[in-house]
Amino acid sequence: MTAEVRALWITWRAAWRHALADRRALWSQLVMMTTNDLVWIAFWLLVFSRVDEIRGWKTADVLILLAIAITSSGFVLGALHNVRRLGDMAADGELDEALTVPVRTLPYLLVRRVEVLHIGEPLFGLVMLIVFADLTPARLAVFAYGVAMAIVIQVGFFVLVGSLSFFVGRNEGGNLGLQAMLLFSSYPVDAFGGVAKILLYVVVPSAFVTSVPARLVGSFELGPALALAAVAAVFAGLGVLTFDRGLRRYTSGSTWT
Amino acid sequence: MITQIVTTAMAGTRRAARQPGALVAVAGFYLVVTLALSAMWRAVTESRGGEIAGYDATSITWYIIVSELAFSVVPQRLIEYTGDDVVNRRIVPELIRPARPVVIRLAHEVGMVLPRLAACAVVGVVFGFAVVGPPPSWSGLTLAIPALLLGAAGSIAAQHAFAAASFWFHETRSAWFLYQKLVFILGGLLIPIDVLPGPLRSVAAALPFAAFAYAPSRLAAGRIDPGWFVVQLGWLVALTIAAVVAFDRGTARLVREGS
Repeated sequence: MTAEVRALWITWRAAWRHALADRRALWSQLVMMTTNDLVWIAFWLLVFSRVDEIRGWKTADVLILLAIAITSSGFVLGALHNVRRLGDMAADGELDEALTVPVRTLPYLLVRRVEVLHIGEPLFGLVMLIVFADLTPARLAVFAYGVAMAIVIQVGFFVLVGSLSFFVGRNEGGNLGLQAMLLFSSYPVDAFGGVAKILLYVVVPSAFVTSVPARLVGSFELGPALALAAVAAVFAGLGVLTFDRGLRRYTSGSTWT
Repeated sequence: MITQIVTTAMAGTRRAARQPGALVAVAGFYLVVTLALSAMWRAVTESRGGEIAGYDATSITWYIIVSELAFSVVPQRLIEYTGDDVVNRRIVPELIRPARPVVIRLAHEVGMVLPRLAACAVVGVVFGFAVVGPPPSWSGLTLAIPALLLGAAGSIAAQHAFAAASFWFHETRSAWFLYQKLVFILGGLLIPIDVLPGPLRSVAAALPFAAFAYAPSRLAAGRIDPGWFVVQLGWLVALTIAAVVAFDRGTARLVREGS
């Protein structure tokens, strides 16, 4: 283990301990997020009480898609919470502390904060998979692969749109990009048509975050699985590149966080 | 008193209008949500042979345009923010004013809704025409505007009534989240109440949440029923009284006990 990885691991562990310290807040927030996720399940069950399928997506397919969305976004927004705040921190000049630490700035920022509201969601998503999918070891492995790729794509995309605030000085666009990703990834991509569908593969890659992995869990094919890895690599690269370029333009807000 | 309410509401309107960045953000988010949800419902109507619970692709799209409008123009975390002001005693300086703090807060929030409503309505109407063409009923869409205002005012009053619990229970931060979820399903925000199964539909129609989003949305979908205005007005009055009474009792306790 290199010194840098060790430092990041210790930082992340401290962030977890800090997040878990207030047990009362932990339980109330876990209940809150579970309620939220149950409402989404209720929503889809109500919709599918009226239709058998939506453009080829049946109840189980959509619930697997939702399980992937909940598991991956729960991990990203819970365990790497600063990815959500990156744009605001850059725009408000709040990165000074991170720049003094002898590890790379981006990974340090990502592991610096854990948000309890989302930390139960990966477990909830897994329970959903067990309940709603015809689970086999192979399917579980494909689910894990899909979630891993979804996490990389989301982190890359959120870092990319958040880093734009280094250049424009505001983060409204970054917040909108984040909300768009979370929202569109809750729906099957085939619900959209024409240009919107293309945008969900290319601009806001939500199709690769949930729809493609959900299809792979249903029926594994090597081609889409490799495409998923390629897209993850592209967005991870774009995120790192934009952050590094943007950091050169960073101006301190004299704020120590 | 009336003058003070109107002046406060106008101050709220001016304040919201002076924040173009925030207006663009609200309108942008509104567009994203409307695009996603309306696409999903058009796909559902298509799967049902072009119609679900009497809604076709056009009417369901205009329904979603207005339901998301009702949701987007009202801050959804008012319960949390108002509760924080109570718990952290930021409300105390407001107690020396001649008017009730809750009345001033309600007027200010209702005033702030207007610029947001204008910005999002433009986006929504352009989106509707671009995607499905004109609304099923022009008179329905016109009537949806006062219904939206009544719904927004009712939602703001309801959130203040919920937030008043923080005078007694210091932890109400999570209450906004549960409130939001009630609006999602039982308020007809994500799914028209007509689509819900029978018993759930009756429950939803009897609760105040339907007056916030469902009432204006069904008008925009061409289902004109003046009875819903009476329902909206009734809930607005009831929830405003509930908020005022709860805040009066809470502030009296605060003055008496100091905590």
